Amino acid sequence: MDSDEITFTIDGKAMTARAGETLLQVASRNGISIPTLCHDERVTKTTSCFVCVVKHVQSGRFVPSCAATPQRGQDYESSSPAVYEMRQTALNLLLSEHTGDCESPCTIACPAHAQVEEYVRAGRKGDFRESLRIIKERIPLPISIGRVCPRFCEKDCRRNLNGLPVAINEFKRLAADLHYEDYMEELPPLGDKKVAIVGAGPAGLAIAYFLRREGISSYIYESMPMPGGMLRYGIPEYRLPKALLNKELAHFDKMGGISIYCGTTLGKDIHLETLQREYDAVAIAIGCWQASSMRCDGEELAQDGIVWLGKIALDNWTGENPKKTIVIGGGNTAMDCVRTAIRLGSDEVSCFYRRTENEMPAEQIEIDEAREEGVNFEFLTAPIRLEKKGKLLRLTCIKMELGEPDASGRHRPVPVEGSEFSVEADTVIAAIGQKTDAPSGLKTNKWGDIDVDSADLCMSDNIYSAGDCVTGAATVVEAVAAGRKVAIAIADRFSKRVHEEPETINASRGHWRSMAKDSLVTLKEVSDEARMVLQQISIDARRTTFDEVTVTADKTLVSMEGERCYECACTSRDTCKLKQHSETYSAKPDAIGGERLVLNCDTRHPVIIHDRNKCIKCGICIKICNEVIEKTLLGYKNRGYLTEVGTAYDMAFPASCAECMSCVEACPTGALDRRHKL
Amino acid sequence: MRINEIRVGVSSCGLAAGAQDVLNRLKERTDVPVLGVGCIGHCYAEPLVEVLTDAGALMFGNIQAKTKDIDALLSLSPEKQLHNRSERTDKENLRITGMIGKSEPVDIDAYISFGGFDGLKKALTRSPQSVVDEVKQSQLRGRGGGGFTTGVKWSLLAAKASNEKVIICNADEGDPGAFMDRSLMESLPYQVLEGMLIAAHATGATSLYIYCRAEYPLAIRNIRTAIDQLRQRKLNVIGNKVLDIEVKEGAGAFVCGEETALIHSLEGKRGMPRFRPPYPTDSGYHGLPSMISNVETFANVPVILRDGATSFSSIGTKGGRGTKLFALAGDVKYPGLVEVPMGITLGEIIYEIGGAEPGSVKAVQTGGPSGGCIPASLFDTPVDYDSLNSLGAIMGSGGLIVIGNNRCMVETARYFLDFTHRESCGKCTFCRIGAKRMFETLERITAGHGVMDDIEFLEDMGKKVKAGSLCGLGATAPNPVLATLRYFRSEFEAHVVERQCPALECAALCDVIINKAQCTECKLCLKNCALNAISEDYVVDNDICTRCNSCIESCAQDAIARVTAGEGFRGSVAKEVG
Repeated sequence: MDSDEITFTIDGKAMTARAGETLLQVASRNGISIPTLCHDERVTKTTSCFVCVVKHVQSGRFVPSCAATPQRGQDYESSSPAVYEMRQTALNLLLSEHTGDCESPCTIACPAHAQVEEYVRAGRKGDFRESLRIIKERIPLPISIGRVCPRFCEKDCRRNLNGLPVAINEFKRLAADLHYEDYMEELPPLGDKKVAIVGAGPAGLAIAYFLRREGISSYIYESMPMPGGMLRYGIPEYRLPKALLNKELAHFDKMGGISIYCGTTLGKDIHLETLQREYDAVAIAIGCWQASSMRCDGEELAQDGIVWLGKIALDNWTGENPKKTIVIGGGNTAMDCVRTAIRLGSDEVSCFYRRTENEMPAEQIEIDEAREEGVNFEFLTAPIRLEKKGKLLRLTCIKMELGEPDASGRHRPVPVEGSEFSVEADTVIAAIGQKTDAPSGLKTNKWGDIDVDSADLCMSDNIYSAGDCVTGAATVVEAVAAGRKVAIAIADRFSKRVHEEPETINASRGHWRSMAKDSLVTLKEVSDEARMVLQQISIDARRTTFDEVTVTADKTLVSMEGERCYECACTSRDTCKLKQHSETYSAKPDAIGGERLVLNCDTRHPVIIHDRNKCIKCGICIKICNEVIEKTLLGYKNRGYLTEVGTAYDMAFPASCAECMSCVEACPTGALDRRHKL
Repeated sequence: MRINEIRVGVSSCGLAAGAQDVLNRLKERTDVPVLGVGCIGHCYAEPLVEVLTDAGALMFGNIQAKTKDIDALLSLSPEKQLHNRSERTDKENLRITGMIGKSEPVDIDAYISFGGFDGLKKALTRSPQSVVDEVKQSQLRGRGGGGFTTGVKWSLLAAKASNEKVIICNADEGDPGAFMDRSLMESLPYQVLEGMLIAAHATGATSLYIYCRAEYPLAIRNIRTAIDQLRQRKLNVIGNKVLDIEVKEGAGAFVCGEETALIHSLEGKRGMPRFRPPYPTDSGYHGLPSMISNVETFANVPVILRDGATSFSSIGTKGGRGTKLFALAGDVKYPGLVEVPMGITLGEIIYEIGGAEPGSVKAVQTGGPSGGCIPASLFDTPVDYDSLNSLGAIMGSGGLIVIGNNRCMVETARYFLDFTHRESCGKCTFCRIGAKRMFETLERITAGHGVMDDIEFLEDMGKKVKAGSLCGLGATAPNPVLATLRYFRSEFEAHVVERQCPALECAALCDVIINKAQCTECKLCLKNCALNAISEDYVVDNDICTRCNSCIESCAQDAIARVTAGEGFRGSVAKEVG
C-alpha cells in the first residue's frame, strides 16, 4: 500500500483514500452516491449547499463530504437516517427560498396534464402538427375538447395578471381541425390481451385509445345507437357539430384494435359476469345520465334536461317548438337547454336559478351567449310547485336571499317568506344535476357513484371504472384523464410492471391571484396585444339554426396569440439537480414556509437568461468564470437572506459570453440558462 | 490640595459625550498639564476626568464643558466625584489595562516610562523557542472567542519553514455591545503592537497586519500613529529583519471576524469563510503560513513576558488563566469596560461591579449574538471558558449583556438572531436560509401568532443550523435561541399558548392602561402621545396606541402601565358594542 494512502470507512465499508482526496471523491470511486449541488471538480471547493453532508461517527459531527478529507481510522455514515434528514432539511431549506416554475401553471391545471406550454409554443412557431402530437399524448379527443373544454389551463394562466389569459384552447381546436385526419400515432403491434369497456363516451373512448397505444385491443359496448356519449347526446350541435365528432371517432377505427358495439346495454344485452369471464379486464365508463329531482310537488310534469337534450340529439337536432320555456338550474346543462329551446323557435325562454349569477356553476361564456341569444334570467328564484293549468303548466316559485356560505363555499339560498309567485309556461325543464345509474352489483359511494380505489381506479380484481360514473357529472377533459389512468393501470397489470409514479416536485412562483402585478417574473418578453377573439356566426343564425356558434381561427391569428404566452416553465427542469435530489430525498417546496424574495430575471443577453429567483448561491458560476475562464464577471452581493449572485453594477452579460457559456452549463439549477424557448 | 495633572478620557465613548470640549476648556482654564487619555472604563459617567493632587488621584464623572462643571472640578468639589471607583476596582484586576488613563495613548515616551516595551526587550534577549514556551506555560487562550491555546498556535507557525510568514491581528470586533478591542487599540496601541512584535520574534513572522473595521476611526488613527512611531524608533526591526506592519480596514461585516473570511477580505476578496483544513497556519494570507489572534490576546503578551508566565497563570482557574476584559452592558447601573480575574463569578461582575440590584436581573448574555444566556440562578458560576461552555453559553470575545426582569427572553432571542441572520455571508444553506426561517418564526411568536410547532421547529432547526454551517457565524447563530429555550421555555410557551408576554415587552401582546386612582390629570401623557391615543378623560385606546412607552415614561405618578393584551380599552371593540 502506498504510504500516502489511509484507510477509513463509509457506512461500515472500508475504503482507501489517496492524499488530499475528499470523502466525496473516495465515495464516488467506491460506488457510494452522495448528492451535491455546489461541487464542481474544475473549481476550488465552494462548500455551500451542505446537501453532501456525511456524519463523522467518532465526533458525531456532520461534515461536507465535498471538502473534508478523511483521516486514518475515521468512520463515516452516508446512509443513516440522521444523514438523510440533514440532506432533506438542506434541500427543504433551498426549496423554501427557490422560486421558479418546474412546470407551467397551465400544465399543472390541466386535469389531463397535457404539456400545455409546449403545444402552445409549437403553435406559436406555426407547427400545429407538432402541437397536435403533444396534445394527443394526453388528449385523444382534441376536436371535441378544443371546443367544449371549460379551460382549467386558462383559469390558472399567469397572463391573467396582465390582461386576459392566453387563448390556449384555440391552439387545440386549430391543431385538431388542421391535422386530426393526417396525424397517426406510432402504435405498437397488438398483443393478445383484450379489454371490455362499457360506454363509448369520453372516458370509455380514452380508455380504448390509451390501451391501443399500449398494444391492447378493446371492445366497447354502448347502449345508445351511436358512440360519443355526452359529446353526442348531451352537448348541443351548435357547440360541437356532430359531423366533427364523427370525424374524430373515425380515427378510433383507423387505429385498429378498437371495436365499438352500439345498442348494447349492460344488464340487458350483456352482463358483467360474462364480460369478466371473456375479457382480461373490464372497464365501466357509463357516465351519469339520471337527472336529479327538483324535489317539489308536480316535478314529474317537468322535462328532465338531459333526457330532453338526448331526444333532440336523436332527432338530429330538430324538434317541436317548446314555446314559452322555463329552465330550472344554473349549470352548463341548463344553458344547453335554454339555448336549444331558442333554436327550436321559442321566443320566450327563461332560466330560473335559486342563487345569483355569481354562484352559477355554468361557464360565464355560456351565460353571456345565452343572454345574447335572448334568454331571460331570474335569479334567487326556486320552484315550489308545478301543476297543470289547461294546456299550460303553472309554476309556483319563491324568492330567495343569500345566507351563510355552505360547505362548497357558495352562499346558501334562504326562502323569503311571503314572496311566492306563479308563472305559466308551455314547457318546464329541470336541469338540476345528474346522478349515476350504477349497474347492480357494483359498489357505490354515498353519492351513488361507483366506488373505486383512487390510485388506479380499480374496483376489484379486473374491473375498473372511470369518468362521470365515478366522479359525478364533470368535464370531458377530466373523463379523458381518468380514462388514461385506467388504461395505464390495466397495462401495468398485464405486463406485471410495477408502475411507480416517480415522486415529482413542482416549485412554483405562485398562483397569479396571490401575486402582485409588479412581482411577476417572466423569462421572456411577450406581446401586449389583446387576447384573440373567435369569430361568431350572426346572431340571427345563432337563434334559428344549430350551426356552430364560433368559427375556428386561422393559423396566423393563433400563432400570434402564442406570442402572448410567458412560457413560465423552467427550461432546466430535466437537468435541475435541486429537483432531482429533492425528489430522491422527498424534499418539498412547502415543507418549510417563509418569505420568498422576488428578484429580477435578467433577460437582456441574447443567449443567456439569469433568473436569480432560482439561484441557490452555490457560487460555481463565480468560480468557473474566475478560476477556469479567468474572468471576474460574476460575484456575490449583499448578505444574509438577501445574498445574490450577479454582475457588477447589474450590468448585462457582455455579448462575448455567448461564446463561453461555461457558467451556464455548470449551473446546477435553472438560474443561469440558455434561452431555449426561441 | 494642589492639582498636579488633569487627565480627560478622550476615547470614542468620551468624545461622544463631549470630552474634547472639556479638554479644551480645561486647557484654557488651568496651567497644570491637561492630558487626553484613553478609556478609563466607566462608561456610565462619561466624560470622565481624573485629577492628580498631592493627596492622590480623584475621579470625576459626567463633566461637561460648562463653567459650573469646570469650576466644581477645579475646586475639587465632591459633587461630581465618583464614589464607586474604589469598590469597583477591588473586584477588578487591571493587569492588561493597567496603563490606560495614565498618558496620551500615542505618546511612546510615556508608554516606555510606564514600563512599555519591557516585555519585548525581555523577549528579544531570549530564543524564539523559549518565548513560545513562556507563552505556552502561561496557558493563555485566545481572547477572541475560540479559546484556542495561544502558545500552541505560535508553535505551529514557528514550525513552518517559510521565508515569509504572516501575523494578523483580528480587530474586526463585530458583536453588538462589545468594545474591548476598540478600547485597547484607542488607549493602548503600543501594547497591542508590542504583543505582535513579540509574536513575530517567537514565530519568525515577516509581515504583521491589523485587520480593523472601518467603523473604528480613532482606533485606526491611533494604531497608525503608533506604527509610525515604532518605525521611527526602529522598534519594528526584529533581529535583522525589518517587519512590515500594516493596518487594513474592513467594511464592517460581522463574518470577517471568522479567520478564513478575514483572510479573504484582507486579500481584497469578499469576506467569505472557507472550509478548514487547511488551517491558516498551513495556508493563510495569499497561501502563506499565517496566524490570526485577537487584539486582546496580543495585549496580554507583553504582560506575560514582563511579569513571567507563572505570575500570569497564578490568576484564574483551570478553565482559563489570567484576566479578561468584559464590555458590561444592559440592565446594570454601571456599564463599562471591566477587567477581572478569570474565575470571578458572574454575580460579582453583575451585582458588585455593575451595581445591578439583586433580584432585578433575570439573565446575562455572554459572548454576544453568538453566545447564550445564563439565568440568574446560575450567577455563582465562575467565569472561564469551560464553565461557560458547560452552560450552553460561551466566553466569546467578552460582551456581557445583562437582561433585567422587564425583558422578554423571546424578544431577546429574536433581537440577536435578527443581527446574525442578516450578517450571514449567504453561502451556506443552513445559515442563510435556516437562520432566516428561525428568525421569521421568532417574529411570529413575538407578534402573538406562534404555535407549539414553532417551538419545536426552533429547537430542531437550531441544532441543524449549528451542525450544517461552515464557520463560526452559522455554527453559533442559533445559540441565543437554544439557550433561551433551555432556560426560559415557559416564556415561549406563554407567548404561543396563552398569547401573553410575561415580561410585557412584546408590543403585540400588551395593552397600556392608566390607573385613574393614581392619575393627577396633569396632561403630560396627552402631550407626549404622538398619535392622540389617550382621550381627554385619560383612557388609552389600544387600537391606536403603538406601545411606544412615551406616556409611561412621561408620567410622574407611575400611573400608566403595560398590562396583558385584552385588559386595556380598545376603541373599535367598544364601538361595536355601542
